[in-house]
Amino acid sequence: MADTAAALTVEEPLDLVRLSLDERIYVKLRGDRELRGRLHAYDQHLNMVLGEVEETITMVDVNDEVQTQSLRSVNRTVPMLFVRGDGVILVSPPSRAA
Amino acid sequence: MLFYSFFKTQVGQQVTVELKNDLAIQGVLESVDQFLNIKLRDIHVVDPERYPHMLSIKNCFIRGSVVRYVQLSPSTVDTALLQDAARREAQSTQQMNQAKPNVAQA
Amino acid sequence: MSEPANKRTPTDFLNSILGQRVFVRLNSGIDYKGLLSCLDGYMNIALEQTEEYVDGELRNRYGDAFIRGNNVLYISAI
Repeated sequence: MADTAAALTVEEPLDLVRLSLDERIYVKLRGDRELRGRLHAYDQHLNMVLGEVEETITMVDVNDEVQTQSLRSVNRTVPMLFVRGDGVILVSPPSRAA
Repeated sequence: MLFYSFFKTQVGQQVTVELKNDLAIQGVLESVDQFLNIKLRDIHVVDPERYPHMLSIKNCFIRGSVVRYVQLSPSTVDTALLQDAARREAQSTQQMNQAKPNVAQA
Repeated sequence: MSEPANKRTPTDFLNSILGQRVFVRLNSGIDYKGLLSCLDGYMNIALEQTEEYVDGELRNRYGDAFIRGNNVLYISAI
């Protein structure tokens, strides 16, 4: 296959990630963490460097007295972040117009 | 090898390493190896009230596998160069997989 | 003796459901439904038109989704 065609098509799952370089992506991580940021680099382990990152951590508050649970999310921003790939569950590129 | 090379360019910079147990350590990156194990010097923990041990520690070695994040200072990162390097790495690993056609042949 | 009747491997199954709607369960219990675009030897998965279900309830939709293979418990065709 020609290089140009290979560069544009999704033949293997990691191509989805490659095509998201320099785009803002969504990353779901272990430990109820989510990231949104611009993808600057990745490798086959899904190690990544993201820029202008918004992290959301979701915590479950349990109220023992009334046996209820409430979800609380904490947000923070990080200008430049390396993410170790072993914590990654899912990566979603920005939705592209067909 | 991409991130090994990348972290080598960060040696001497201030970084904050956040571990999977939520401990965050700030320090100067002294060295890194191929497993992304990290040596830091002149460290302090970001939340000393919660993690009062380590107050007396100045240098540390962090096993790569316990790292969740490393916060970097954006001015030290050439993002265009990183993206090019990532594309080259993607191409070379794809070629390696094609050289072993019995693996994951669709 | 003839060859064993069942010579179909798991990989044959996976290749046979490419492009179909699939159900993916992760070790964490989270479920995904979507069109299977492709997968690789690590069981990394690319899905299109993905729906994410937590405790059976629809939580999220993604146009494209990459799922890291180590999280996958099983993939089934639907």
